[in-house]
Amino acid sequence: MVARSSGDSWRDAAGVGAQATALLERITPLVRADAEAWEDALAELHATTGGDLEKRNDALERKLDDAAAVPILIADTGADAASLAELAADRGEGAYRADAAVAAVLAAAGARAASHLVRVNLGVREGDARLARARRSADAAADAAARALDAAG
Amino acid sequence: MREVTETLSDSQLVQRCRAGDPEAWNELVERFSRYVYAICVQGFRLREQDAEDVFQEVFTRVYSRLDTLRDDSAVRPWIAQLTRRLCLDTLASSARVQPAEEVLAPSTEQTLDEIDEAFAVREAVTTLSESCQEVLDRFFARDESYRTISAELDLPAGTIASRISRCLVQLRERLEGRNEGSTPSSE
Repeated sequence: MVARSSGDSWRDAAGVGAQATALLERITPLVRADAEAWEDALAELHATTGGDLEKRNDALERKLDDAAAVPILIADTGADAASLAELAADRGEGAYRADAAVAAVLAAAGARAASHLVRVNLGVREGDARLARARRSADAAADAAARALDAAG
Repeated sequence: MREVTETLSDSQLVQRCRAGDPEAWNELVERFSRYVYAICVQGFRLREQDAEDVFQEVFTRVYSRLDTLRDDSAVRPWIAQLTRRLCLDTLASSARVQPAEEVLAPSTEQTLDEIDEAFAVREAVTTLSESCQEVLDRFFARDESYRTISAELDLPAGTIASRISRCLVQLRERLEGRNEGSTPSSE
């Protein structure tokens, strides 16, 4: 919205709008996939207790890995959305900059939530590379949101 | 040799084909094969075998009738028109639809327009700088994050979105520049 409203005063506005659309198209299926992966993992967790315990544990671990993979991508995309919103808050049409800053804050919240899901789904130790990646994205998104708020005044 | 022919404009490529350069013919088929196939499969929803038959026939006719093309720069719309006619013929002969002259369903027209637009964008992208092509491909085609692009291309992370925007501005200018004319000029 900010990019669409800034076309007259900001040469890059249309390009920012195109990137926002691409990020939206990227995140929408991820949200659905996240829910499905988590449901699969839950179903495995609640599966009947018969059979080989080791095999069941391996299957559950794989499902939880799958369930963690999607929020990692959501965190990455949240960081990108926050970064793009920061740009709009800094360069967009004055009347809409506050909206861009709010978008950055919401994207950062999404990235933080996704990072939390990665930790919960994996039950991992602090050094896990996947959790580190999700946290880096969440931190980058938070930094971008803070700058966006500053830029928007 | 391919490196030379693939940098030729459509018009230059047609001239080389007329001169009997086999490499140019290879490049012409390479350049337009996905376009022709997309029209057959996405536009007209032909079955695979029918699409392959049309594909062969299109390039056979291009080969035998290239001399009838009056405007060399209009080779793409000319090939599109040939393909559409052959697709309609195929549909009519298989009795899946009644012969419909050149009247297409609005949804087919829209799909064909989208195919045209996608290929026009693809062509225009190839005229941008290497760095623009790279950054646009990574973001829009490979769905890479700004951080990944930044790391891979050794660029500051905070500049990626701006770079992409600037490249898109250039792309729009190229597209606006090429959207003049380009209609079939033969048959």
